Amino acid sequence: MVSNLIKLEILKRIRSTSFARSLAIGIFVFFIGIFLLGYLLLLGLVLNKLIREVLGKDDAVVFINSCLLYFFLLELIYRYFIQQLPVISLGSFLHLPLSKSKIIHFLLGSSFISPLNIISLLVFGPFALMEIKPIYGGLPAGIWLAAVILTSWSIHWFILWFKQRFEDSLIGTLAVFTTLLISLGANYFGFYDLGAFFEPVFTFALESPVPIFLLLTLLILSYFLCFAFYRQNAYLEELSEKEHLQFANKNLGFLSKFGLAGEMANLEWKLIIRHKKSRTYLMLCLVFLLYGLIFYNNPAFQSTSGFNHQFIFVGTFITGIFMLQYGQLFLSWNSPAFDFYVHQKNGLKALVRGKYLLFTGISFLCFILSIPYVYFGWNVLLIHLATFLFNIGITIHLVIYLALWKPKPMDLNKGSMFNYEGMGLSQFLMFIPLIAAPYAVFLPFAYLFGDYAGLLAMSITGAFGLLVFRKVSTSMAEKVIQNKYEISSAFRQEL
Amino acid sequence: MIKINGLKKIYGEATVLNIPELIIPKSQCFGLVGNNGAGKTTLFRIMLDLVRATEGVVMVDEEDVSKGEQWKTKVGAYLDENMLLSYLSPEEYFNALRKIYHLSDQDLNLHMEKFTDFFNGEILGSKKYIRDLSKGNIKKVGIAAAMLGNPEAVLLDEPFENLDPSSQIRLKKLILKEKADHQVTFLISSHDLNHVIEICDRIVLLEKGQMIKDLDEKNKMTEELNSYFNVG
Repeated sequence: MVSNLIKLEILKRIRSTSFARSLAIGIFVFFIGIFLLGYLLLLGLVLNKLIREVLGKDDAVVFINSCLLYFFLLELIYRYFIQQLPVISLGSFLHLPLSKSKIIHFLLGSSFISPLNIISLLVFGPFALMEIKPIYGGLPAGIWLAAVILTSWSIHWFILWFKQRFEDSLIGTLAVFTTLLISLGANYFGFYDLGAFFEPVFTFALESPVPIFLLLTLLILSYFLCFAFYRQNAYLEELSEKEHLQFANKNLGFLSKFGLAGEMANLEWKLIIRHKKSRTYLMLCLVFLLYGLIFYNNPAFQSTSGFNHQFIFVGTFITGIFMLQYGQLFLSWNSPAFDFYVHQKNGLKALVRGKYLLFTGISFLCFILSIPYVYFGWNVLLIHLATFLFNIGITIHLVIYLALWKPKPMDLNKGSMFNYEGMGLSQFLMFIPLIAAPYAVFLPFAYLFGDYAGLLAMSITGAFGLLVFRKVSTSMAEKVIQNKYEISSAFRQEL
Repeated sequence: MIKINGLKKIYGEATVLNIPELIIPKSQCFGLVGNNGAGKTTLFRIMLDLVRATEGVVMVDEEDVSKGEQWKTKVGAYLDENMLLSYLSPEEYFNALRKIYHLSDQDLNLHMEKFTDFFNGEILGSKKYIRDLSKGNIKKVGIAAAMLGNPEAVLLDEPFENLDPSSQIRLKKLILKEKADHQVTFLISSHDLNHVIEICDRIVLLEKGQMIKDLDEKNKMTEELNSYFNVG
């Protein structure tokens, strides 16, 4: 029975419409994955040297043990964002004469096959082998490693439960973040060292196999916590999200002033706040607003004359992350209703104009919200102004131009992290020119006449882009109209 | 109203649609029947310029649909859910269309009044997005949207599918009334022979992309269609 289910699962993966088309992307992502895992293994291999020589700690084992807690907190966070819930295929099995428990066991089991679950092995495996084994012997090293891996796997089940329990809610995200911030902050200010508090747990594993049994129990408990929750809620309506109109029916009033294009922008705004994937992109905007905090007050990025050139990059992201991210999938967002726009008089033109309007609006909003950065110096404000102008004058056209290359359909209701639906190779490659463009204007002037001349050049280029806005946006709309048959048939057939 | 000339749609080797000539005069109720894969939906999509014709033209009031856009204000259509913005509530959707068609609130209200019975109190005022409605109710929204903005012609693909029997009867009444009051041309594809025979003045039978029958005498329709579809 189970082997049948596994076969079905494999068939589903292979035959999904996106598989064949995006084989290239699949391979690309696969290699990136291998690369990342390779790096982690490398990190694992040099971990003991790093601790001794770079950080200057004598006892690497004790240090690692006191740091493990932070590793696991970090693991909580990345698992929270990356890990996918295995409920998608639930609907196609529920009506069959299989016991619900079996289905849930199967779904949970299949979720376990994930590269995330070998990260701890890759990082700490070599450490156990090279550092612990010589000092404490083979068996304690094995037990220690097993303890670490078991903890990591318990987190896997815990997150599956947690994410489903607090699905997509802000409370969940906030809880995770506050946990991390509080523990890091407390450590930083020296109130108490949580890491040191937990250190004995893993040190204990070096001396006795008891922690293994405890952690094994924890793993089983967390699995059954997860299982029980999924089993109880194994109904279509409960595990699939349904939202009602209670929220998200705000209009952006000012947009109505721009005629049909404004109306389209308004519809697009509703599209954004009513779909999970697009909502995440919007949230990302807010996260990126804080991005500057990492750079602007970091002594490593201070320079004596002018400012660090990386700040251009930061400014571009802060004011333009939404158009970079959301714009990548320009028309794919409208793939479920593309015929609607085709069928309206001037619909496609208004759609493209509307998107321009929305991108500019959100970019402007981000710029306004980033004004408090002036606290770190006037040059930050100037950088933001220049990058903002450049974004709405040049980058916006670039994004849209590049995104119009072979748009792909996508399902808006699926999650967003590591969901490559709608992404083509072009969407990946797009980032390169988008990042390069501001520097291509900035650097020559910065080297010749100083950093502020570079900013001025960017602003002027951006302003020039604004002047030819009408012409360029019309030609983009023309391009969409020219290719509308191809685009609409691609959107229809794949969904 | 609508003229088709030398229309062909070819995918690779296969000709899925081949219509040398078809003229649909104003205020005709035109029925399109045929088995699955006969090309009904493709024909509608080409008429709406959603799919490119391999050869030939579709003219709406002497305007080539693939060239101009003026005809779009005259033709309303509902083919499938791709034509709806399913993330809006029905009211929001109608309201968005109202703005696109430049109608007043009054116009919209008048239009909605026509559909009061048809909607059966389940569409307006429900706090649901269109994507969460039942199939039948989604269809109702689509049909009402297609008729919005006083179109001169309305294309409906399988309008009776998924509707309950009383809604089907109400829809027939609505279509006949619109036709009588405003001389609206209707193009309807359907598998329900009884319904099409009842409301249509003319029925065209498609088979593998060819028009093999063009019937405009009510009393012969039943017999002819039954003899074609009755596989025994």
